[in-house]
Amino acid sequence: MNNSGPSFWTTASSTLHFMLSSATPVALAALGGLLTEHAGIMNIGMDGMILMGAFVAAAVAAIAKSALLGVLAVIFLGVLIGLFFALFTVKLRSDEFIIGCALNTLALGLTGYLADAWFGLDGIRIDMTIPAMQNAYFHNINVPLIKEVPFLGDVFSGHTAFVYITWLLVIVMWLFVYRTPMGFWIRASGESPDTLRTAGKNPERMKWIASILCGVFCGLAGASLSLGKLNCTFVENMSDSRGYIAFACVIFGGANPVKVFLAALMFGFFDALGDQLKVIIQSDLPYAYLVNAIPYVITIIMMVYVVVSGQRRRERIAKQQLRKLEQK
Amino acid sequence: MKQAFAWIRRRLNLSYIVAVIISIFVALLIDAIILVAAGHNPIAAYRGLIVYPFSSLRHFGDMLEYAMVLCLCGLACVVGSRVGIFNVGGEGQLLLGGLVAAYVGSQMSGMSMWLVIPCAALAAMATGGLYAFIPGILKVKLKVNEVITTIMLNSVAALICSFFSSSVWKNMSQNEGIDVKEFRFATLIRGSKLSTAIFASALVTFFVWYILQKTSKGFEMRLIGDNPRFARFAGLKTDRIVIIAMIVSGMMCGLVGMFRVYGAEYAFISSKVSNEYYFEGLMVAMIAQYQPVPTIIISIIFAILKSGARGMQNAGVTIQIYWVMQATVIFCMAAQTGIRASIQKARQRRAAERDVAARREGGVANE
Repeated sequence: MNNSGPSFWTTASSTLHFMLSSATPVALAALGGLLTEHAGIMNIGMDGMILMGAFVAAAVAAIAKSALLGVLAVIFLGVLIGLFFALFTVKLRSDEFIIGCALNTLALGLTGYLADAWFGLDGIRIDMTIPAMQNAYFHNINVPLIKEVPFLGDVFSGHTAFVYITWLLVIVMWLFVYRTPMGFWIRASGESPDTLRTAGKNPERMKWIASILCGVFCGLAGASLSLGKLNCTFVENMSDSRGYIAFACVIFGGANPVKVFLAALMFGFFDALGDQLKVIIQSDLPYAYLVNAIPYVITIIMMVYVVVSGQRRRERIAKQQLRKLEQK
Repeated sequence: MKQAFAWIRRRLNLSYIVAVIISIFVALLIDAIILVAAGHNPIAAYRGLIVYPFSSLRHFGDMLEYAMVLCLCGLACVVGSRVGIFNVGGEGQLLLGGLVAAYVGSQMSGMSMWLVIPCAALAAMATGGLYAFIPGILKVKLKVNEVITTIMLNSVAALICSFFSSSVWKNMSQNEGIDVKEFRFATLIRGSKLSTAIFASALVTFFVWYILQKTSKGFEMRLIGDNPRFARFAGLKTDRIVIIAMIVSGMMCGLVGMFRVYGAEYAFISSKVSNEYYFEGLMVAMIAQYQPVPTIIISIIFAILKSGARGMQNAGVTIQIYWVMQATVIFCMAAQTGIRASIQKARQRRAAERDVAARREGGVANE
């Protein structure tokens, strides 16, 4: 025990560290996705939004040599994508599923094509040793006090700004969704649009707002991939179906920001575990492929669990109400 | 003459055809803007697009092979969406089908071709069907959203394929791959990927069209897709039919995987067997509004575009532009449908207002 002690703790802390950074893009996208979920839009297109965000962030940051400008560009782009998405799903009443799929395909093609046409075969890759490029990505932040604490310091310190901002945004989003009139209206626009219209608010406008905010969040998720995790690098299809996982997290968390964040953390944990297992197994057979499949399988199991438990809960409530009626 | 026109109008949905043609043209215009933005010459690129598929017999054969894949994938999607279940997981079913078919081929080395090919086809169909059965049963019994589960299963299938084809089932000198050169289909045009698989595909296509459009089973399926509650009350076993449709869809995808392995690549290498082909078929099915005959025609149009996109590489344009083209066509279709619907709505509202105004005036006159 004593011998394996230190190595166990370093493994554990690095796993948890990786979990936090890996969960961030998913959590950011899911925070946006829960808004469209509340507004009653099935948003399959998050993957494409993330991909476009990742591309624009990396491209602008590489050209302007400033990560901050990259993020600003991504916010602007997120608004545009949100408007584009809402134009079709809300204004023109197209099938959300079709538009989402088309958006993903468009993002995959457009980012791959433009990265190739503008930046050459390798996509966007930044030589980190060039001093002028040091500002083109987000550095890891060492949190002053926590850094000194033995175990916690390794886990919670040394992330990029995206990670800490995401934690803040989880709380902000919870307040926004459950404690502000706007959040209430957005929820109402999905649950009962006619009631909202009777109350004098336009449900379609709420859907527009939800989808614009979703675009911004997904764009930020993309930026956290290309500027945070990979230091200003863009490769083709780098979102790697994170948008779909984010969608699964939204459903798993019941569109509640805190629960959604926990679901994203769970995904991050299995991602990190897979990464660690690759180191531990070290065999000739490429088991790494199978280990990489774990998060996806877990997502499916998560979905089944949440749906079944939801049905059970509804049944239980219905039975209770029945009993109450019988007692009367 | 007049009768002939009336017959054509009855048989063909003219407004739909016009919408598709306009969409493709507008999409090509939008893509020209993107090409200019990326610094390419759109005229040279589009010349390559049009000329390339017909420039040689080989390119034409490749184009037909791709049309076959698109058509089968699109029809697999149509079969599912007919009963209201979206099989987005065709990519995984296709890959796994191809993998298992290749494994069967590699294990039966030395046996008669007439034995191996049916075995491989059956194995591929069984695998694809089984893999589609998982999301199908989850959807029907537990009401789990099939879109997410199938997408997740796609990623899982791709990783499983990478694992098996690069380790335990590998029999090629490369990093990964299962060689089945021994049992490949005969090629129809030398140098191209067009093989006798296209006859089998035509047969499958015909059967799917016949069952969907001409039999009572197809009618029942449409009923379930349009109005599941009514179908249930009409006494149909909706759950069973939905699951069967999903399995058939998966079987078709598995078969496509087998055709790709035995007809085009002669080996299982996951990146070569399918590169998001099913998603491209899905897009075709969407543009065709989940109708079998338009799916067949539009898959040929998009095969020409995809093959042409390869020709655009001479002008320095990468193949990804094909995805952009496909997506823009869908957006144009959606925009047209939406705009037309909103115009119709506005017209109805105006008519209703006029009606109300007329009635009010009439009422005043009566008094």
